[in-house]
Amino acid sequence: MPFVVATDVGGTCTDTVIVEDGRSVFIGKALSSPPDFADGVIASIRSAAETMQVGLADIFRQTTLFIHGSTVVDNTLLERKGARTGLITTAGFEDTLLVTRGAYGRWSGLSEEGLKHPVATDRPAPLVPYGLIRGVTERVDYKGAVIQELDEAEVAEAVSYLIGEQQVESVAVALLWSFANPVHEQRIRSIIKARRPDIHVSVSSEIAPLPGEYERTSTTVINAYAGQVVNRYISNLQKLLGEFNYTGPVLVMQGYGGLLPAEQAAGRAVNMVECGPVAGVIGSKFLGDSMGDSNIIAADMGGTTFKVGIIQDGEIEYAREPLIDRFHYSVPKIDVASIGAGGGSLVTLEQDTAAPLVGPRSAGADPGPICYGLGGTQPTLTDVLLLLGYIDPQRFLNGAMTLETGNTVRLFRQQVAEPLGLTVEQAAIGIFRVASAQVTDLIHKITVEQGLDPRDFVLHAFGGTCPILASAFARELSVQRVIVPYTASVNCAFGLASTDVMHDYSTTLTKSAPCPAGEINAIYEPMLKTAADMLDREGFSGDKMSFKWSVGFRYAMQVHEIITPVRAATPLDDAGLERLIDDFEALYENRYGKGSAYRDAGIEMTRFRLSAAGMIDRFEVAAQAFADSSADAARTGQRRIFVDGHDGLTDAGIYDFEKLRPGNIINGPAVIHTPITTIVIQDSQQGFMDGYRNIVIDIT
Amino acid sequence: MIDPITFSIIRHRLFRVVDEAVITLKNVSGSAITNEGHDLMVSLYRADGSLLMGGVGFLHHLTSAAEACKSIIRRFRGDIHAGDVFLLNDPYTAALHTSDVYLVAPIHYRGELVAWSACFVHVYDIGATNPGGFCPDADNIYTEGFSSPGLRLVEKGEINRAIMDTFLNMVRSPDMVALDLNSMIACNNVARERMLALIGKYGFETVDETCKTLIIRSEEKLRARLRELPDGQWQSRQYLSVEDEVCRVELTMTKRDDTLTFDFSGSSEQSRHAINCTRWASLGGLFAPLFPLLCYDITWNEGVISPITMIAPEGTIVNCTRPAPVSVATVGAIQSVNNAACTTIGKMLSASEKYAGEATAVWHANHFAVFLFGQNQHNKQAIGILTETFAGAGGARAWADGIEVGGEIPNPISRMANVETVEYTFPIRYLYRRRLKDSGGPGRYRGGVGMELSFVPHDAPDGGMHYVVSGKGSKFPMSEGLAGGYPGSPNAYMWIKNNEPGAGNGEDTAQAGTATAEQQVVDWGVFPLMGDDALYVRWNGGGGYGDPLARPPEDVAHDVRDGLTSIEFAETVYGVVIDAGTGEADQALTEEKRAGLIRYRKNGTQAATAANPRITCKHCGGSLADDDGNWKESAVLQEMPMQSLGGPYASGGDVVLRSFSCPGCGVLLDTETAMQDDPYLHDQIFIRR
Repeated sequence: MPFVVATDVGGTCTDTVIVEDGRSVFIGKALSSPPDFADGVIASIRSAAETMQVGLADIFRQTTLFIHGSTVVDNTLLERKGARTGLITTAGFEDTLLVTRGAYGRWSGLSEEGLKHPVATDRPAPLVPYGLIRGVTERVDYKGAVIQELDEAEVAEAVSYLIGEQQVESVAVALLWSFANPVHEQRIRSIIKARRPDIHVSVSSEIAPLPGEYERTSTTVINAYAGQVVNRYISNLQKLLGEFNYTGPVLVMQGYGGLLPAEQAAGRAVNMVECGPVAGVIGSKFLGDSMGDSNIIAADMGGTTFKVGIIQDGEIEYAREPLIDRFHYSVPKIDVASIGAGGGSLVTLEQDTAAPLVGPRSAGADPGPICYGLGGTQPTLTDVLLLLGYIDPQRFLNGAMTLETGNTVRLFRQQVAEPLGLTVEQAAIGIFRVASAQVTDLIHKITVEQGLDPRDFVLHAFGGTCPILASAFARELSVQRVIVPYTASVNCAFGLASTDVMHDYSTTLTKSAPCPAGEINAIYEPMLKTAADMLDREGFSGDKMSFKWSVGFRYAMQVHEIITPVRAATPLDDAGLERLIDDFEALYENRYGKGSAYRDAGIEMTRFRLSAAGMIDRFEVAAQAFADSSADAARTGQRRIFVDGHDGLTDAGIYDFEKLRPGNIINGPAVIHTPITTIVIQDSQQGFMDGYRNIVIDIT
Repeated sequence: MIDPITFSIIRHRLFRVVDEAVITLKNVSGSAITNEGHDLMVSLYRADGSLLMGGVGFLHHLTSAAEACKSIIRRFRGDIHAGDVFLLNDPYTAALHTSDVYLVAPIHYRGELVAWSACFVHVYDIGATNPGGFCPDADNIYTEGFSSPGLRLVEKGEINRAIMDTFLNMVRSPDMVALDLNSMIACNNVARERMLALIGKYGFETVDETCKTLIIRSEEKLRARLRELPDGQWQSRQYLSVEDEVCRVELTMTKRDDTLTFDFSGSSEQSRHAINCTRWASLGGLFAPLFPLLCYDITWNEGVISPITMIAPEGTIVNCTRPAPVSVATVGAIQSVNNAACTTIGKMLSASEKYAGEATAVWHANHFAVFLFGQNQHNKQAIGILTETFAGAGGARAWADGIEVGGEIPNPISRMANVETVEYTFPIRYLYRRRLKDSGGPGRYRGGVGMELSFVPHDAPDGGMHYVVSGKGSKFPMSEGLAGGYPGSPNAYMWIKNNEPGAGNGEDTAQAGTATAEQQVVDWGVFPLMGDDALYVRWNGGGGYGDPLARPPEDVAHDVRDGLTSIEFAETVYGVVIDAGTGEADQALTEEKRAGLIRYRKNGTQAATAANPRITCKHCGGSLADDDGNWKESAVLQEMPMQSLGGPYASGGDVVLRSFSCPGCGVLLDTETAMQDDPYLHDQIFIRR
């Protein structure tokens, strides 16, 4: 019975999915245990093992693959707990990191309110202060030609200063045009390593080989800053697994949507940013593949944030100008949009208009919502959901906690209902609609505003809070169906178990289109060879390798490029290239409207990307046979809840998820309680449990 | 009455409509000024052209695009149809200058005109005498390129090819200009579709009611805020010099009850140079800082405009008459209006306990418009602004230093391009681009620093390029300080001839700024960058806040270690003596030095002694001045040549820094950048007797 074990360490919880024999999926959950997270990882695996009635040691003995995602890099950055880091750059450009392309670093990531109030803003303090930045004489030009040789004596002096005098533990090296010619960066690394092999060195031509020195430098600095922490984290993880006698492969999730062997991941800290939520999107895609859905909105709402990713035609979108804690970085990263709205988000009244807002401030886990009775005195979204009848105060988290209603009503009335001149019930309904609208706006932004029509999509609802709201806001978006997966509460871990090993390569070069297809193939040839060698070393045979090409296109003279996946057979022939160009034009018009394209200017290809995957054997869960359509056996009673479109509360059926059987049909309005979350089915909607115990809600 | 929840949702969606339209502009346009610099704007207007929802971007345009809508309504009355898009760029009708082209489009719902969307970008070229739109060689508006008081570019969804082709026939690089126009058409399309979706969902009455209510609330909120602020009068003066001409923008801002009046009487006659503002440009120029400084938590719409009055005498630099040239207005007199308004608003806020924290010294007073043009290394014609002009320095605040290279107030979302982007687009190579030491205006809180750059031709098929420079601010510092803070340093533009400085370190030009045989000041006109020439530009720091001698010595020492302040500057201006060995302030020597500087201040001239002093010093509580007349008459005055501050101030013109200190405690209360014979600015809070 071989097991694949996947654990995702999140900010609050560590989730586990264990796949047994490629067929059965078991889930586990435990609280995360910062700073080293080890206890949480083990507790989470143990929790899954318990549901399998297998001992922890037995699990590890039979595990063939261990897959891991973690919030460690995000935490390191948010808490500023990275290494003391130095930066070596081209002399004359020492301030590039600090000035962040002018105001860009001051306003990026601000809300509307922040943008309108510049006097109150500032940049985040840089990860490398001025005193730890050293310029060295050297220069490469836009063609990659060396204009001025590297002054090695200056490098030696800078290294002595940073390592000797300033005691840095980590060095970022980012020179102008290094992506066009990395020779000086490589030389600087050799000089540092010759002096101190234990110092972490990140060089920009490897970490982010893209034009744009500010973003490349910022990315490299993030990588160097978190590099030591990730290094230690991964070696601790391997040690921990060793203690359980696990010596098999360990794969680590990357933000671009693939896995890397732990040894390689250790040098690529910046790729681990938001890797958990990214895995969630991959999990959605996997689930969609098995259910025949290729257009998916993957939505996750937990305690503090609402996160959403888009899968279109089976392809996942990449982020354009990603930020972590308002720092820019530029590595390929699957786009996960987010807003500060979750169960713990505070409900406040806007100063300007006295209109209610949900989030972005959060009550966190401590003191938490008022209804937890842990000292919280400000109403949160969870309190509102309780007031609307969605949460059973007696059965919260499978009865682990009894919720407190009296105080919740009193404080909510004082702070929200009365100032609005509404009853508690009316105000709670209003807040529910505001939260739905905020979530809808975000989804609108990443669908409609990108030329995508939500009516072509299904919505996957993950996390503790999303399955409560999804059936209401999905109606507003007019998506086809809402699916609450069986694994909804451990979605990111589930995603880890459905990801492949992946390496990303890119070449930046401008070419007019069309051109002979052979010229494109020649650009890919060296990348393909490097990729195949790498996968071969990792033990993948040729039939387990998969190579995906994509090309960055723009109309000549434009700045903004659109990454267009190659759908024709590769290497390309002229017909295939033509099809690629057509695809780009279709994407463009789709996004910016008819008439916005400017073909007369000509078309350019600016970036050539290769994703090389080493495919991991997929599990295939067997569908359970359908029982009777009646869900009566799982019905535990009824309760008054808010039904969208109605003014007050309405009676709804209450169901126990554990007692539902595949094939059961539940007519809304209804509430299904699972051990971890709650699923709401709105009026005139119908829920259905499929053969994998997913709840599928048809939206009308 | 709309419920507060629907109201809130519609309000946020209106902003999202604008935000999304901005993204469309950026993605479709090809010019760096739009994409990299964010020199753009999108807003929504009501059916009568009044401002409904102002977006972020260059805020000068919110009011003048409203006028553009109104002007189109007047001109095309009865002939405005769904799917039309109108072009307007005549500055004497509504626009700021010809190259900021407005495209405004009606939004019809069920056949009725219900709203307008409007946007602009600074188009790649407008066919003026000089490439790129800023036109130092212009004598009048007729040489400043294509200009229209309103034409229908798109008729019921169909582009009028004849007009489009005629327009493109008159400009350089028509492909790029076509892309700019396409981006604006797409932007208006997106705004219309999103607006209609909003109306479709909530119904026209509800959306319309919400818009009306938003305007009423904005007006109520601004008026309430004005009532909280003291009544008074505050003055500001900006010097604007081009070649041998010095112009003044004089502003007296008066606040009474819940109204604000901006009076520009006393400003210079209109200039022969293209720095003039039309009336609409001045109005936009004063609103650009007013929105973020007074209305940061108020929706930007027509309600904010009602309590404000502008007086701008005709024939002056702030309300010029046709055919005065205006192509440099946006970096000329408009910016002086921005700066003057920022200063008077800052003075008013400083006078209020509640709002003092919102006061700021001037940010980035001087754009430096340098447009490169010529054949690039890819054998294409390239024209483009140095987007570094958007990387201004933040002014100091009443509670914090200015943000180093933090941007500017009139455009809250500006940014600059990467060096690598510029080097790929133009045949040049930068020698350095870095923060400029000693450029931040000294104060208790220091103004943010500006930057300096230098570049040389590189791989140019023609051996180099040319550039149009319409620079100003090299003689007069313009980022005024507040509450005793000094102004930020002036700009400098230098053509270093046949003398590529030691490539890669640029030390040779670090002190550039004084003209020599090899160095020529180039701040107005068209100049070559050929062979081994280099161009050196440095730009201003933000204004300081409060007395520099009150800056904690450890903060000054920190600035020295961070390369923002020189050891000499620390000593002469801040009175802080830095131990070169430890990098820390020497306490004893600093105390001695500062005591000496206070003594020097108190030895200044005092024009009058107060007979019946009712105004007291807010630092020592001692008697200061009578409450009739200008309090500065009774303060001690020291005047010093601005150049004597040294560092980047040394290259400035013949202008003095006036310091007004308390005769009792010697604390610096206010500063002025002034020409010798100009009267003192007069700021006063009206006292009810």
